[in-house]
Amino acid sequence: MAWLHTWAGLVFGWLLFAIFLTGTLSYFKNEISQWTQPEIVPHKVTAADSVNRAQHWLQDNAGDAKRWFIILPDERSPQLGVSWIPAKGRFQDKTLDSLTGAPVQARESMGGEFFYRFHFQLQMPYPWGRWLASIAAMVMFVALISGIITHKKIFKEFFTFRPRKGQRTWLDGHNAVAVLVLPFHLMITYSSLVIFMTMTMVMPVSILTTYGTQTQAFFDDLFPAFKTTVPAAERMPLAAIAPMLDIAADKWPGSRIGLITVNNPGSANASVTLARHGADQIPHEPGTALMFDGVTGALKEQSTMNAASLLLAGGIYGLHMGHFAGPLLRWLYFLAGIGGTAMIATGLVIWLGKRKLKHARAGVLPFELRLVEMLNVASMSGLMLAVVSFFWANRLLPVSLAGRSDWEVKVFFYVWGAALLHAFVRVFFRDGRSAWREQLCLAAFLYCTLPVLDMATAGSYLWASLKQGYMTLAALDLTALATGIFLAWGAMRFRGEKNVVIASTSSALPEAR
Amino acid sequence: MLLAALLCYVGFTALCLSMSRHYADLLGGSLSTGRSRGLKAIGWGALLLSLWVAMASLSIGQALVQWFAALMSSAVLLVFVMPYWPRLALSLAGIGALLVPVAACLQLLA
Repeated sequence: MAWLHTWAGLVFGWLLFAIFLTGTLSYFKNEISQWTQPEIVPHKVTAADSVNRAQHWLQDNAGDAKRWFIILPDERSPQLGVSWIPAKGRFQDKTLDSLTGAPVQARESMGGEFFYRFHFQLQMPYPWGRWLASIAAMVMFVALISGIITHKKIFKEFFTFRPRKGQRTWLDGHNAVAVLVLPFHLMITYSSLVIFMTMTMVMPVSILTTYGTQTQAFFDDLFPAFKTTVPAAERMPLAAIAPMLDIAADKWPGSRIGLITVNNPGSANASVTLARHGADQIPHEPGTALMFDGVTGALKEQSTMNAASLLLAGGIYGLHMGHFAGPLLRWLYFLAGIGGTAMIATGLVIWLGKRKLKHARAGVLPFELRLVEMLNVASMSGLMLAVVSFFWANRLLPVSLAGRSDWEVKVFFYVWGAALLHAFVRVFFRDGRSAWREQLCLAAFLYCTLPVLDMATAGSYLWASLKQGYMTLAALDLTALATGIFLAWGAMRFRGEKNVVIASTSSALPEAR
Repeated sequence: MLLAALLCYVGFTALCLSMSRHYADLLGGSLSTGRSRGLKAIGWGALLLSLWVAMASLSIGQALVQWFAALMSSAVLLVFVMPYWPRLALSLAGIGALLVPVAACLQLLA
């Protein structure tokens, strides 16, 4: 069992670190998107006003479309999203200003969607990335269970964390963060497997090919709206959608509307489907919707998702995604995710630390341990560098650059690649400490100065949002600053050439497993 | 939910003190068997009570999610504050225990 934990953890640790880190960032997916597209400004508007504006705009600009989608702004994402499938051609979308109803010229960026997509697709073609991510999740599950079984003193050491004791501290930290946040680790890993089963293996490929991969997970919410009907030849004006929101408010007290789908707008058999906002209940309920007659505006049918198996899967999906979480719970989700990431990171460090001890006297590490150290550096500090580079690229790339959002992604991977190269050169031609030190120093600098960059390049948006009482942009800057301070503290641990870690671990050797 | 979170922290601190090593570190002196048993009972009692309190104030789904969140964050707080600032960890539990009646009143009034 210990063997399984050690080797499964090592081989998949690097990939799992990336999945956990980007997945953790995805708890603030909408907030990250808001930061990367500061031109889309939040306004305090009612749902009825927003929907009226969207309806007018679509009427004028996509009157002959087969289907419209409207996503209303909420407290986490300011945009009024409209998209449509034209009579001929591909799916299109626009972002409207929720106050004026005019399209917003925002810089092109995937924002939080990039990290979210990466954490389960790994930037690989469909479905290979999903398969690899799911295999990693399976290994994570195995590593968790085998870790619990091999951790013999799980109750005796439940409250134990001994700082400043070298390898002992790393092991204590690894155990503490694993055991204390175990319910989260088990939930997130198990639910990812369930989501893979239901979404990838059952997912109709036709939906994916119609919308591509960049459509903000529309397919998650689309099922009730997908009963396609041929448009009637007779043209009739579409009823106002806003009054339907009032009917929905009666049917679902205390709930908001998330996605609005209009089938065959402007034809005699038009229909409007309202789906509940995902943040209003824990289970993900893609089947729950209200269907209205598009001409008379009368409620036609109400569908609820009540198959027990679907509801269970919906509950598990909802827990994983945490759409329902308010600000406090969302931060706790984020911190628990960091806990999972830290558990993987400490595990990787311990694996190498234990084996380095044997070579402490010789002072020379064998090739395979250098390889592990190189991958440790590149997968951890290198990824931290890549993430911050994405944000820097978002502010520095010219707004009018062709394929701008692709360039942001390219910068992310180029920097990650450069970090791997740097780690290789440092670990094989000098030592691992210098690799860690230099990458952590650079990362600390880039995170700490991100708020300065934001103020310099998009300061007007930042001040305007603060004046209106919106904290999202400032919160992201402050989180980057805190991350930078943490990384600087990490870099300080690698000061000097002397191998302090090894020196202090030898005294703890008899205790180490 | 404040009440449940306070009870979680107090419960974990009592469970921690029921172990002789932590008792010696935090309070000094040796722990008698009777006191250890008493602390254990208080600890488990507080944790169970916190679950009941959460269930009583929220729907079952929200109650379970928030209770687990309170459980995990209070344990993490205790374990990582204790080695650096042991007195702070204990004072937090003391303050928490004092605030329990206040939080209980607030929850009853809400």
